[in-house]
Amino acid sequence: QNITVTGRVTSQADREALPGVSILVKGTSRGTTTNAEGTYSLESEAGATLIFSFIGLKTTEVIVPASGKLDVALESDNTILQEVVVTALGIAKEKKSLGYAVQELKTKDLAEAREGNLVNALAGKIAGVNITSSQGGMGSSRIVIRGETSIAGNNQPLFVVDGIPVDNSQLGAGANGSRDFANAIADINPDNIESISVLKGPNAAALYGSRASNGVILIKTKSGKSTQKGLGVTLNIGYTLDKLLVLPEYQNVFGQGTGGQFSYKDGKGGGINDATDESWGPRMDGRLIPQFFSNGEAVPFVAHPDNVKNFFETGHTRTTGVAVSGSNEKLDYRFSFNNSKQTGVIPNTDISKNSFGANTTYRINDKLTLSTSANFVRTGSDNLPGTSGRGSSVMLQFLWFGRQVDTELLKDYNKGGFDYNWNHSYYSNPYLLQYENTVEQRRDRFFGNVNLNYKITDWLTATVRTGNDYYTDRRKFKVAYGTNGTPFGSYTEDGYAVNENNTDFNFNLHKAIGADFEVDWLVGGSFRYNFSEQNYQQAPKLAVSNLYTLNNSRDPLVSYNVLRKQKVYSGFSSAQIGFRNYAFLNLTARNDWSSTLPAGNNSYFYPSVNASLVLTDAFNIKSNVLTFAKIRGGWAEVGKDTDPYQLINTYPFNQPFGSSPLLTVSDVLLNSNLKPEITRSTEVGLDLALFKNRARLDFSYYNTDSYNQILKADVSPTTGYKQKLLNAGHINNRGFEAMLNIKPIEAESGFKWDVGINFSKNVSKVISLDDEGFLNDYKLGSNGSAAVYASKGLGYGAIFGTAYTRDATGNIVIGANGLPVRDANLKVLGHYTPKWLGGITNSFSFKGFNLSVLIDTKQGGSIYSATNATGKYTGVLVQTLEGRDAAHGGLTYYYPGNNKSGAAVQLGTGGSAPAGEVVYDDGIIAKGVTADGKPNSTIVSAERYYKGVYSNSAGINEASVLDASFIKLREVKLSYVFPQSWVGKYSLQNVVLSVYGRNLAFLQKKADNIDPETAFNTGNTGQGLESLQLPTTSSYGFNLSIGF
Amino acid sequence: CQDDLEEVNNNPNEAIVAQPEYLLANAIKSNADIILGSDASMETTTLYVQHWAKIQYTDPDKYTASVTNIQNVWTNFYSLGLTDFDKVIKLGEESGNVNYQAVGLILKSWSFQMLTDLYGDIPYSQAVKIDQYLTPKYDAQKDVYLGLLNDLKKAGDLINTSGSPISGDLVYNGNLTKWKKFANSLRLRIALRIADKDPATAKSVVAELAANPSLLIAGNDEIAQLIYLSSPNQNPVSRDRETRDDYRVSKSVVDKLLELKDPRLPIFANKTVDATPNNYVGVTNGLLADSAAKLGFTKTSKLGDYFTAPTSPAVFLSYSEVLFNLAEAAQRGFISDDAAALYKNAVTASLQQFKVSSGDITAYLAQPIVAYNAANYKKSIGEQKWIALFSQGLEAYTEWRRLDYPQLKPAYAGVLNGKFPLRLTYPTGEQALNSASYKAAVASQGEDKLTTKLWFDAQ
Repeated sequence: QNITVTGRVTSQADREALPGVSILVKGTSRGTTTNAEGTYSLESEAGATLIFSFIGLKTTEVIVPASGKLDVALESDNTILQEVVVTALGIAKEKKSLGYAVQELKTKDLAEAREGNLVNALAGKIAGVNITSSQGGMGSSRIVIRGETSIAGNNQPLFVVDGIPVDNSQLGAGANGSRDFANAIADINPDNIESISVLKGPNAAALYGSRASNGVILIKTKSGKSTQKGLGVTLNIGYTLDKLLVLPEYQNVFGQGTGGQFSYKDGKGGGINDATDESWGPRMDGRLIPQFFSNGEAVPFVAHPDNVKNFFETGHTRTTGVAVSGSNEKLDYRFSFNNSKQTGVIPNTDISKNSFGANTTYRINDKLTLSTSANFVRTGSDNLPGTSGRGSSVMLQFLWFGRQVDTELLKDYNKGGFDYNWNHSYYSNPYLLQYENTVEQRRDRFFGNVNLNYKITDWLTATVRTGNDYYTDRRKFKVAYGTNGTPFGSYTEDGYAVNENNTDFNFNLHKAIGADFEVDWLVGGSFRYNFSEQNYQQAPKLAVSNLYTLNNSRDPLVSYNVLRKQKVYSGFSSAQIGFRNYAFLNLTARNDWSSTLPAGNNSYFYPSVNASLVLTDAFNIKSNVLTFAKIRGGWAEVGKDTDPYQLINTYPFNQPFGSSPLLTVSDVLLNSNLKPEITRSTEVGLDLALFKNRARLDFSYYNTDSYNQILKADVSPTTGYKQKLLNAGHINNRGFEAMLNIKPIEAESGFKWDVGINFSKNVSKVISLDDEGFLNDYKLGSNGSAAVYASKGLGYGAIFGTAYTRDATGNIVIGANGLPVRDANLKVLGHYTPKWLGGITNSFSFKGFNLSVLIDTKQGGSIYSATNATGKYTGVLVQTLEGRDAAHGGLTYYYPGNNKSGAAVQLGTGGSAPAGEVVYDDGIIAKGVTADGKPNSTIVSAERYYKGVYSNSAGINEASVLDASFIKLREVKLSYVFPQSWVGKYSLQNVVLSVYGRNLAFLQKKADNIDPETAFNTGNTGQGLESLQLPTTSSYGFNLSIGF
Repeated sequence: CQDDLEEVNNNPNEAIVAQPEYLLANAIKSNADIILGSDASMETTTLYVQHWAKIQYTDPDKYTASVTNIQNVWTNFYSLGLTDFDKVIKLGEESGNVNYQAVGLILKSWSFQMLTDLYGDIPYSQAVKIDQYLTPKYDAQKDVYLGLLNDLKKAGDLINTSGSPISGDLVYNGNLTKWKKFANSLRLRIALRIADKDPATAKSVVAELAANPSLLIAGNDEIAQLIYLSSPNQNPVSRDRETRDDYRVSKSVVDKLLELKDPRLPIFANKTVDATPNNYVGVTNGLLADSAAKLGFTKTSKLGDYFTAPTSPAVFLSYSEVLFNLAEAAQRGFISDDAAALYKNAVTASLQQFKVSSGDITAYLAQPIVAYNAANYKKSIGEQKWIALFSQGLEAYTEWRRLDYPQLKPAYAGVLNGKFPLRLTYPTGEQALNSASYKAAVASQGEDKLTTKLWFDAQ
């Protein structure tokens, strides 16, 4: 006898109604789901069993009472069986059903210890993710997941906010003014983030198409639903101090000059070596020498050991944020405003951000739900730190420096006329660079989406959504009249407008088939349209000083504009078939049509398949040791298009010659037969939970091959071109990741100790670069003769450079001139890619207190350090003291006839030189052997030795390739959640205070003078080549969050 | 949507179709920038030939050639100028404009001539044909010069002064007769280049040209040159001097001009800022950095204002050079003219080119030390040509290697064991990108060193 069963389903934890719980009459295919109020109604026999299931809660079976009235409270399931993660297209799935690795971070991992660039906050927390963070505490950060899969193309993952891709370009990196402009994802405010899921590679991300072969970072922003009932207001206040973490170590014995001599007259060659911007000058022992501040008077020549350090300041960041949110049966909403203002460690640099956000979900009726998200962000800076070039990089001048210079005296750069400085042949006053030659930036960004969800039946929904990310980014570069090297100064305006639009629709079917099978099938299509525009205008020489406008120009303006458009149409489908909730098969398929590829090749299809099996359920293993075990595996392919306009050669314009326009044949021969790049990846994994979840292990192994790589290969210029666009490279990446979570202590008292460990190792190999086999090396970037290559047969990112000549037993060969002999061939000196990465987080919690300590490491990579090469050539670094005088092991010698161009003669211990010969004590006999195998005995001056080895043009790069391995104390954070009893007294909902430090110290660092983990940009060029980096910073701060 | 996709990918930023006049102007400017620029001139040939010397960063002056400089000379000649000239020729063929074809071929030949002068064997017959040759072979220098003689003859014959005009001509403003003269003057230059090694060919070419001397550059108003404009189209030397102060006039030049009481000294060099006995002080080539610096920036002569002016020309081929070449041809018996008279005309043309007054010219020529010495014509012509080609680094360096005069001393602290550089090494890029051809060239020409003597350089 059928009766009508009615009731309400709630969550046991908070007694809230649960909409969308599926209810099935056991042994039948009859079922229903709860409505928005959590109530249901269905026909069933009394005494039948109903199965209530809901993601994240324990599936519960209850017998229908005769009354037909059945309210159920579902328990939350704290086993991982029910763990839910956000996957591609924003679909929440049980983690156990996935055949690939996904790792998730929650808001407290991000917002409670702040970073200027969101990407930095991921460092050390996610296995297989390699972050290279910003220099100077501002600027770009690079992120690579599971190694570089593209030899020449973009290796940055796709960033998706609330299901819609957003832009993460780094525009104008290294262009005019050489600023390290932050990549666009830095606009996202961590306070608005609810969670971040990292889909590591094609297997997880195939559904996102082209850009997913590098992985996807899915960001879910907070919605009103996540707050308590009624109106909630959250206030956030934070403050951070930035201090220098790594600055080069300087010597403080010898000052400016060369050959031990210096005397200042005009700073450009009028005095003795006063154009020389090196520190091979006299001993800073207080001897009297005319200096830049003394008007020709001889004054004491003394050291100022902290002259560089004192130039830098303490950085400050303050953040304020307020969010209002609420939820009722029809509407969830959240509005937020955040403001942050950062001043940098480099004088007169700052970044400010103001962001407004609104998220709403409106349940129009039982079937139709409309969600919207809108964000406006204004990022502005009055001046960003300069990273290279004489006109903007302060580190360039501090590595070519007079160690005696008192930078304090330079603060007034207008003293006695513009550009009062220690040197006038190459540099302007470093304060002048910071205060006059500024680069302003303002980015106004609007991104958001509209999402309409229609529940056609209980088991079929349709979704349509469109998202847009639009910003303008305007930059103003000022170079003051009278700046050294640009006497007339200049003024440049560079403006960008960037738009990305994604529109997609899909049908999602979710249905149980019989008692054993469950099907989740999705089919849809999408359309992506990108455009970007750049307008560049420069007044190359100002007509009058101190006026920055494009009209103020004595030369014609230099101007150009670039417009880029790209469209991609896609159709996709995915299916998940679950068997008895322990075996799952997932299939995806996608076809893209991209505008960037030629007509015959612009449609490309790619599938993926993966499966998972929960062994503990399938074989009904119930054990106190093995709580959960799952194996998974998958195969995926992703096709990838290229940049616009890579097919047909066109003719770029050069600046006109008078009234003659100039056109030229471009340097790159394009390719009208391009095919899409293809990445194929296999992944297998094992998830284990032991001792009732006290220990959990996720292990993944992957093997990724990327074919048909599109790259601009260098060709011999004798062909008439510098590069040819090829479509043939093949690179392999293999590796594994392990994440281990242990709870060593979970005491009755509430004291808990959690340990999270992640470890990953990636091995890459460049299999081929072209079909013809003429290309063996593809240059990714260079610094002088040191260069980073993708070379056939080697791992990605091999550092090539000039090397010592060595004999058969490895001794360095020293020439007749007493200097190491450079090998005629460039050699592989290392790889910038680390051999392995790891992170370990220990967290301790007790009664509202939580202390967590993150230590992370990269081991086994190398870096070419121009800071070391330059500072050793110029004699400013402490390492150049070795052998420089008797006190530092220097040997004594003289030049017969005082002829410094001749060979030096060493004096034995106690020996004395013939009368009239000047004796020097800075002799070095380089360790090594002569060409005939005898130990070297030729003595040279320290200056000649260091200049010989570290010269940019003739030196030996090998001496400046350093081990980039490090262990960093990345983050220490103490947070306290105020007890409800206290909070309630003040009518507050919750109060959380956290204090933290980030990038606190190196526990291990092998590279002298630099921080081995900084990036100049997010691209592939310049990685592994440190180039006079700005010092990196440590930060110390607190964050207070109050909920009303 | 297929059409839509293709349309989206039409490049809206650059010209789809090339106009020959714009390409021509661009490539002329590009080559002019190379011959005066840092890579091919300031940091290499003007130092090797001791026209200029460095007062700071003296490594290049000690013959430590920068890898980048050497690569740039090669890359810029081939991939900037030559591709554009080649395209001008093709556009001329397509449109039937023989004059674009001819001018393109003349400038292309001139580019190859400079390349082979510097490097020796070079890709020539297979160069700039990327569709056919991705790794062009190197041709022997002799074959290159002979090929260029043919190409230039062909180009001269192609010119049709009553045919379709050309524009974008920054050298002669569309005057096709003058282009013909430039082509012939280049042939004369090349003929003498090979005179020691292939006198028969040299003689026949010179004889043909001398039969109609009016078809050679015949006056200082016919010099093949690009006259620069004001900033931003200023002369590369002028641009360099706006922000840099690395160079001085070589002691070799200053001493020689003082010795000859040469009226060109105040044009070539500026007076020292601080007073000095002779007003002019040159810097010895190849000093150690500290010795150079010690000479004092204000106590040594900078390059003359004539050469550092924004509008100072880039000279491709001068009238005086033509006359020196004819003088030498006469001396060698290729033609029957009076060598001494031609020599005197050549010196006069040079003095006039630098606007020396006629009185000074007469006085100068009257000096016995300047008089032509037929017994040692290489000395007379070599020294005067070296002066006349002042700051024309590439041609001066090549002719000095061929004539072996004036007799210079190698850089003071040179790194070549007391030898001079006699060529540029091949750029390192070739070893990686055109390896087999490169190896074959080295096997045939000799070790890839600065001191390896080239084919044309008999002694």
